[in-house]
Amino acid sequence: MSIPPIVRIAALVLGATGFYTYVGQMVPQKEVLPPEEMTLEADLTTADMVKAGREIMEGKGLCLTCHTIGQTGALRFPDLEGIGARAGSRVAGLSDVEYLAQSMYEPNAFVVDGFPPAMPAVHRPPIGLTDQEILAVIAALQTLGGTPTVTMQTTHGYLAGGAGGAVAP
Amino acid sequence: MNGVRNRRLLFLLGPVAGLAMFAGAVLLASWLYSGEYKEPYRAPAATADVTPRAEGLAAEQAERESQARATPYEEAEYRTFPVVGSRVAIWAVAQLHLLFAAFVLAVPLFAFIIEAIGYKTGDLRYDRLAYEFTKLLSVSFSLTATFGAFLTFMLIILYPKFTNYLMSVFSPTFLPYVLLFFFEAFFLYAYYYGWGKFHPLVHLGLGLGLNLVGTAIMFIANAWLTFMMSPRGISDTGAVLSVWDAVTNYTWMPINVHRVIANVAFGGSIAAAYAAFKFLHAKSDEERAHYDWMGYIGNFVAIIAFLPLPFAGYWLAKEIYAFSQTLGLVMMGGAFSWLFIIQAVLIGNLFLAANYYLWLGMGRVEGVQPLQKYIKYLLIAIALCFMVWATPRSIIATVSELRAMGGSAHPILGFLGVMSAKNTAVNILILTTFMSFLLYRRTGKVATVSWAKTGHAAQLTIFAGAALFVIFLGVYGYFVEATVRIGLSVPQVLSVLFAMVAITAIDVFLFRGARKMEVRWGRIPAISQYVLIFIAVTFTWLMGLMGYVRSGLRQHWHVYGVIRDNSADAFTPTLGFATQVVSATVLLFFLLIGVVFWITSLHDRPDFERRTKGRTPDADGGAQAALARHPGQYVQDEGAPLMRSRTGPIEGLES
Repeated sequence: MSIPPIVRIAALVLGATGFYTYVGQMVPQKEVLPPEEMTLEADLTTADMVKAGREIMEGKGLCLTCHTIGQTGALRFPDLEGIGARAGSRVAGLSDVEYLAQSMYEPNAFVVDGFPPAMPAVHRPPIGLTDQEILAVIAALQTLGGTPTVTMQTTHGYLAGGAGGAVAP
Repeated sequence: MNGVRNRRLLFLLGPVAGLAMFAGAVLLASWLYSGEYKEPYRAPAATADVTPRAEGLAAEQAERESQARATPYEEAEYRTFPVVGSRVAIWAVAQLHLLFAAFVLAVPLFAFIIEAIGYKTGDLRYDRLAYEFTKLLSVSFSLTATFGAFLTFMLIILYPKFTNYLMSVFSPTFLPYVLLFFFEAFFLYAYYYGWGKFHPLVHLGLGLGLNLVGTAIMFIANAWLTFMMSPRGISDTGAVLSVWDAVTNYTWMPINVHRVIANVAFGGSIAAAYAAFKFLHAKSDEERAHYDWMGYIGNFVAIIAFLPLPFAGYWLAKEIYAFSQTLGLVMMGGAFSWLFIIQAVLIGNLFLAANYYLWLGMGRVEGVQPLQKYIKYLLIAIALCFMVWATPRSIIATVSELRAMGGSAHPILGFLGVMSAKNTAVNILILTTFMSFLLYRRTGKVATVSWAKTGHAAQLTIFAGAALFVIFLGVYGYFVEATVRIGLSVPQVLSVLFAMVAITAIDVFLFRGARKMEVRWGRIPAISQYVLIFIAVTFTWLMGLMGYVRSGLRQHWHVYGVIRDNSADAFTPTLGFATQVVSATVLLFFLLIGVVFWITSLHDRPDFERRTKGRTPDADGGAQAALARHPGQYVQDEGAPLMRSRTGPIEGLES
């Protein structure tokens, strides 16, 4: 019995669509939720800030979308391994905290050789990190090859009065 | 007897379908409003007993009314669509609107070009072909407009606050849009119904007007959607600073160009699928020959438009990065990176199917054998490129597998997952398909010019040179810094474009006055027609997928970085879910386009009166019947299909 062309066409359309749907199920499945607003209390310890900072880097901050940690080779953006150790000597006159703050508030002020000036200012939309969240990220970055020193009271050039509301001693 | 019964059934089918649709509409409306408060029946005041319960109910009612009056009006931010949710509802309707709109914009573009070729060459077959393409437009235009209105209402109902904002930004563009839509309807129907009734140049003028107006409409609509992705001309809080800047945002022109090209590719593939559908149902060799030729032209249009599409895609991606690196990196390196692996599967299938169709088509032409030996090499190149393009950078694996690999990237295959390899693969893929088309084009032709040998050698040198240059840059990309590597894609693209233009230019002169073998249209295996339909399905699915990434890229923003999406649907769904929605939409589209094909094919049926007299349908689409009733209005060359005359008016077309 010969199958009418219209039945074959319908089977082909269903088969092709089904195949592409199947391919769609084979790739990693990840639901991306909108970033939640994080409340960082003024009395947060540095260790807690580091933990919060890592969460921000992986989530709302989108840092790890571009930057890698501990990879070498043909990278599109600088690897962050050891940033805590070299941040203090990157730009003359800037401490590690000042340099890390500059690289987030005003990223094009200093661009690492060989990489494009492509990083957005993270305190502006669409990323829109708060001053406190940026301090937490600085704490997390300091742990990559160094020792975290920032507290919620730390101040820097982009922050008048301290993120926690108090001026640093 | 059966015929009479069938006619009765058909006669009954109309009212039954009408009643069913009416009942469906009533049921849907009842369901949607089922949650609303319903006033209970109350007996007239004179007959009702004043009981404590009745007094209590009246007091409650009065309380509700006074509360409603005291509550100030508050604009709703979102409303929810039942069952599937607002996002999926908008998604499906927008996608269907875009698919039909793409078809309605594309078909006039190549119908106009084919008609112009027919006018220039005097070959009436082109005129008939252009008319046949145009026949598909009328119903599709109505469906496009219907889905457009549906989409607008859905946006107003489900996303009122955001829609209001968008309208406030783009209010100056709405009146021109509506006026252009009127012009579009005028040009389309004048072009369609005026076929053969005007001087050819006047008719071509109508076609040109139709294309210009259609393109302008698309450009306006593109401004609205690209603004959502790459806003410009507004303050940080969303206040309008310049409408012109909002229109000419970063991604507006790249999307315009990308859509014009993609629409032509998509429209060509759907028109080819229509020809395939007709070919498979053809009753005579003449019909098969005609629809084989139509399918070939449709596919030719699709592939020619498809070849430069990746370059337009590069430009769009470049502008996305220029607007926001974050947006670009979310697209290529974040939540959507795996989507491009699915895209690679689709595009690989398109290239394979398109090449397969071209190779099957070589059988139509005598003297094909000398070229067939090259096909296996092209197939190997295409398969290799496909494999490289579909190789992911990072692999989902178990902990022990990840440990063995030393990371999520495979120690060897991981090198093929980066852009240097993928750019090289796609450029070679394009170049190979171009060569495949070139082989097809020269099948059955023998160059007779004195410099034929030199010409062939020059073409081969350009092809090999471009391929080697592209591969060299791809390998070189692994050894340079990121700033240099990003720039290497430009010379890769330019060298492929140069090769395509140069080889085509040489080919035109090389085969001028060539000895030609006969092309036996219709002598092609039936499987080739299913390949055309497969290409159309794949194109449609690809458009659905890329529509999703363009829109989904904004993630939890209505207007990226300015107006945040606070609805329950603000999250980005899994790719698996997205592909299910795309598939459902594609199936719905093909169901509807099947209806379009069916309605269009009614054109070719002999009229009811003639069928009842027991005549067999005409092989040339009822034109013989029309000729009998309207002598002098049709012309027929000896041995050629019957054609409309350009010189006389035609009444009662396509009865």
